[in-house]
Amino acid sequence: MSRVLVVDDNTWQREHLVSLLERAGHSVKSAGDAIAAMEMIDDRAPEVILLDMLLPGANGLTLLHELRTYEDLARIPIVVCSSLELPRRELAPYGVVDVLDKAVMQPRDVVAAVEGALR
Amino acid sequence: MEGAKQTQAVSVDELFYMPSVVVAAHEMKSPLALIRQLALDLEASVQTAEQQQLSRRVRLMSEQTMQLVADITRAQRLEDSLFACEPINPRAVCEEVAHELSPLFREHRRQLAVQPRRHTPLVVANRDLLKRILVNFATNALHYSAENEPVALQTSMHAGKIRVAVRDRGPQIPRAVWRSLAATQQPLPQPDSRRPQSSSLGLHLSKQFAEAMSGRVGLVRHADGASFFVELLPSTQLSLL
Repeated sequence: MSRVLVVDDNTWQREHLVSLLERAGHSVKSAGDAIAAMEMIDDRAPEVILLDMLLPGANGLTLLHELRTYEDLARIPIVVCSSLELPRRELAPYGVVDVLDKAVMQPRDVVAAVEGALR
Repeated sequence: MEGAKQTQAVSVDELFYMPSVVVAAHEMKSPLALIRQLALDLEASVQTAEQQQLSRRVRLMSEQTMQLVADITRAQRLEDSLFACEPINPRAVCEEVAHELSPLFREHRRQLAVQPRRHTPLVVANRDLLKRILVNFATNALHYSAENEPVALQTSMHAGKIRVAVRDRGPQIPRAVWRSLAATQQPLPQPDSRRPQSSSLGLHLSKQFAEAMSGRVGLVRHADGASFFVELLPSTQLSLL
């Protein structure tokens, strides 16, 4: 059972992703903004982070920068899950291993991306 | 955040600056994406055929609306020259559109077919924009075609240019409506009573996409429907652009 952190400011979206990943057998926590996410990460680092980029206050990119400043946290693989069309190649230096487009992703894509990041 | 090092300042504006229309389009896209995801979940879990149909329709409508929202964003970016043109096989795009829209047409108990043609010259176009034009035309035609009359995707030559058209058999569009569409470049203030489900947004966006490819859109009115077409240069004239 792997530890996943879902970060998304939309409550229903967050609950949907949590439910999806729990059904796939993962232990999932969630946060609605970058600060709450960082607090959870400080408390116990997840094994993978599923991250929405547009967050209230500090956005997803700020969180990615923050994680890169800590050697141990920089190793956590990130799966970006966003309705923005984001270039995977440009996000790779931030530890992003996969990018999901909310507009077209299937539930199995979310599970596959998270499990792919864990490998 | 306790113990945090000084991080390099990130300018949100630099990364996320978007004109307000694009921001609005994104704000609409997010909830639509969630509706689609929830509908997918329902489709996979509900029991009765009627419930499955309802969730399928919710998903299809959300996908259709998201595409229109994405078109608004595309239209705002046309000036950035992000959509390069190249020789494209229009028939291949028609087949792609027919394949993509077949679930939607099936749900409406309609058919969308690509009319056969022995030889289709290549056109100068952006594949993405051409596809979006045809999807908009076909989605518009969906509501006005009879069950036993398939909507047809057609290619033809016209005065040295290539027309890719969507032919439907439904209520005739009044000439005044089309003139208004062409002249004002604004969405019609009221939907035409004979085509009540049309707000013309998709048609207006298609017009902008066509013009970005040095083409144009047009309409041929028939007694039993209409052909909306996009007219593009053949690839033999690529050097003229």
